[in-house]
Amino acid sequence: MKTLIIGLGNPILTDDGVGVKVALKLEETIDLTAHPEITITEASAGGLRLMETMLGYDLVVLIDAYYLKPDQTKPGKIHKLSLDDLRSVTPTQHSTSAHDTSLVTALDAAEELGYRVPSDFMIYAVEVENILDFSETPTPAVSAAIPVVTEMIIADLQLKTL
Amino acid sequence: MERITIDPITRLEGHGKIEIFLDKKGNVENAYLQIPELRGFEQFSIGRPAEEMPRITNRICGVCPEAHHMAATKALDALFDVEPSSVVKKLRELFYSSFYVTDHTVHFYALGGPDFVLGPDSDPAERNILGVIHKVGVDIGKQVIECRKRNHEVIKILGGRGIHPVAGLPGGWSKAMTKEEQKTILGWAKENVDFALFSLKLFDDVVLANQAYVDLIVGGIFSHETYYMGTVDDNNHVNFYDGLIRVTGPDGKELVKYPAKDYAKHIAERVEPWSYLKFPYLKDVGWNGFVDGKDSGVYCCTPLSRLNASDGMATPKAQEHYEKFFETLGSKKEGKRYTPVHHRLATHWARLVELLYAAERMLELTEDPEITDPNVRQVVTNTPTEGVGSVEAPRGTLTHHYKTDENGILTDVNLIVGTTNNNAPIAMSIKKAAENLIKDGKVTEGLLNTVEMAFRNYDPCMSCATHSLPGQMPLEIQIKDADGNLVDTRSQYVD
Repeated sequence: MKTLIIGLGNPILTDDGVGVKVALKLEETIDLTAHPEITITEASAGGLRLMETMLGYDLVVLIDAYYLKPDQTKPGKIHKLSLDDLRSVTPTQHSTSAHDTSLVTALDAAEELGYRVPSDFMIYAVEVENILDFSETPTPAVSAAIPVVTEMIIADLQLKTL
Repeated sequence: MERITIDPITRLEGHGKIEIFLDKKGNVENAYLQIPELRGFEQFSIGRPAEEMPRITNRICGVCPEAHHMAATKALDALFDVEPSSVVKKLRELFYSSFYVTDHTVHFYALGGPDFVLGPDSDPAERNILGVIHKVGVDIGKQVIECRKRNHEVIKILGGRGIHPVAGLPGGWSKAMTKEEQKTILGWAKENVDFALFSLKLFDDVVLANQAYVDLIVGGIFSHETYYMGTVDDNNHVNFYDGLIRVTGPDGKELVKYPAKDYAKHIAERVEPWSYLKFPYLKDVGWNGFVDGKDSGVYCCTPLSRLNASDGMATPKAQEHYEKFFETLGSKKEGKRYTPVHHRLATHWARLVELLYAAERMLELTEDPEITDPNVRQVVTNTPTEGVGSVEAPRGTLTHHYKTDENGILTDVNLIVGTTNNNAPIAMSIKKAAENLIKDGKVTEGLLNTVEMAFRNYDPCMSCATHSLPGQMPLEIQIKDADGNLVDTRSQYVD
């Protein structure tokens, strides 16, 4: 199964880059010669641009920061989500930002246009604390989650490590 | 004072919202857009080598990394006091034009367009790119995706990387173009010109042929008479990559034209106690509040502004559409220039004229025999001190200003990003839209949509943190009475 692993986020915005850091960790850990079907990448994009990177893959693994209301957030807590979960948090399929559509809308559009969109999605979301201050270092709870998510993905995909 | 809050951006509590303040009678007194502000970029940068800035600043934002990359690269030219060779300037402009084609395409088809293609009163759930595809057909949707795909490939070929380009060097560009690449890009550039012409035709058929839409554009709700800013070339034609910054008045007359390095002489930033946003204004006019007119230093910096601040477009087909734009919208030609168009919704049309210019310019540059000249690097020998670089980002003039020690280590960094220029006019547009729909404390249905249309035409970039999950864009209005008590909430896209 042609698989794309995408670490999402901005690596210089404290916790926002947690996905990117997990992707880098996976790149160091996974035996990629034993898994030629896997591509690992990073992106700080959403909507259409993110959808476009996924075309032609069967399985997409997304790792991203998950920001809840300040009184609800538990930094470092890991969620496994499906595409339907994303759909349910974007019920109107409207814009994610003033300059893009949501990922699910972009995927729906691509499917409607006849592009080969991935059939399977695995989404790992890490609850975060700070996504407004510039820093290359995540907060401690989020830093601690990085190896945990990495192990989780390796186990879930049954990957060989170096 | 009553206070209404609209949260337009993400579920980031406390960040990114529209606040509408009412007076005692319940009518709109003021309205402001609050964009989430990222903190500490200056401290993050200080102590790093300046030549890293093109690769660091393109991480600031996921929407216009190419614009930051280019402004940073040009700031390095100035910092190291080095003049790029002719081919380097052309490669950079080619790269940048390709970026414009993708960026303006997304805005028209995914964001601004749906309001017109589907109609401003259509179901919000359908008013997106999917709805556009349903309305205009699968083939057009495919063209949009293909247009983005080929231009992202150009950005990758010329910029060295897909999303975050790496090619910018002080006085240079890290990679020359091969003849093979030239041939490939030439084909794509021609397709871009066709696509831009097609998009303008679509605007003609869907918007201009519908009197109700034309009335909406030229109606008073979405109009403001302010100063306009844009970068122009030696002929006062619109230029995205380089030139002088020109500011023209509400009457169309030139106020000032200056090199980017003099920005601090002409632009000051107003700070208000109720907002952490800064409101840039023209020093030559002065701050006079959030008001229209030639005595108010408020200026606007968008595709509409660039057209208003210029004498024309540098490519033939874009020039034809430029003339049609002004003539259709009732401008008069005074000497070499048209009087400005003040209708903010016309920005969507102006964006398509710019799309055509970017496509045509890309074609011209690719056809230029010099474009494959391999002399793209030079050794930098001057001691760095201070440098300013600017480009036109799709959403406004973007300025980077760096100071370093003699080793090129950053000691001071100041950025004025595109959207910031428009903070004051966006506030004014939201206010005007809200004034029409809130009378004596009564909020009319349609407020959310009208307010969204009012700020969306500026294409403000608020994406800095929105790629965090869950990533949606709810709108929420909170109406508060004079004591700050919540008396009513109106929302859409909110769980």
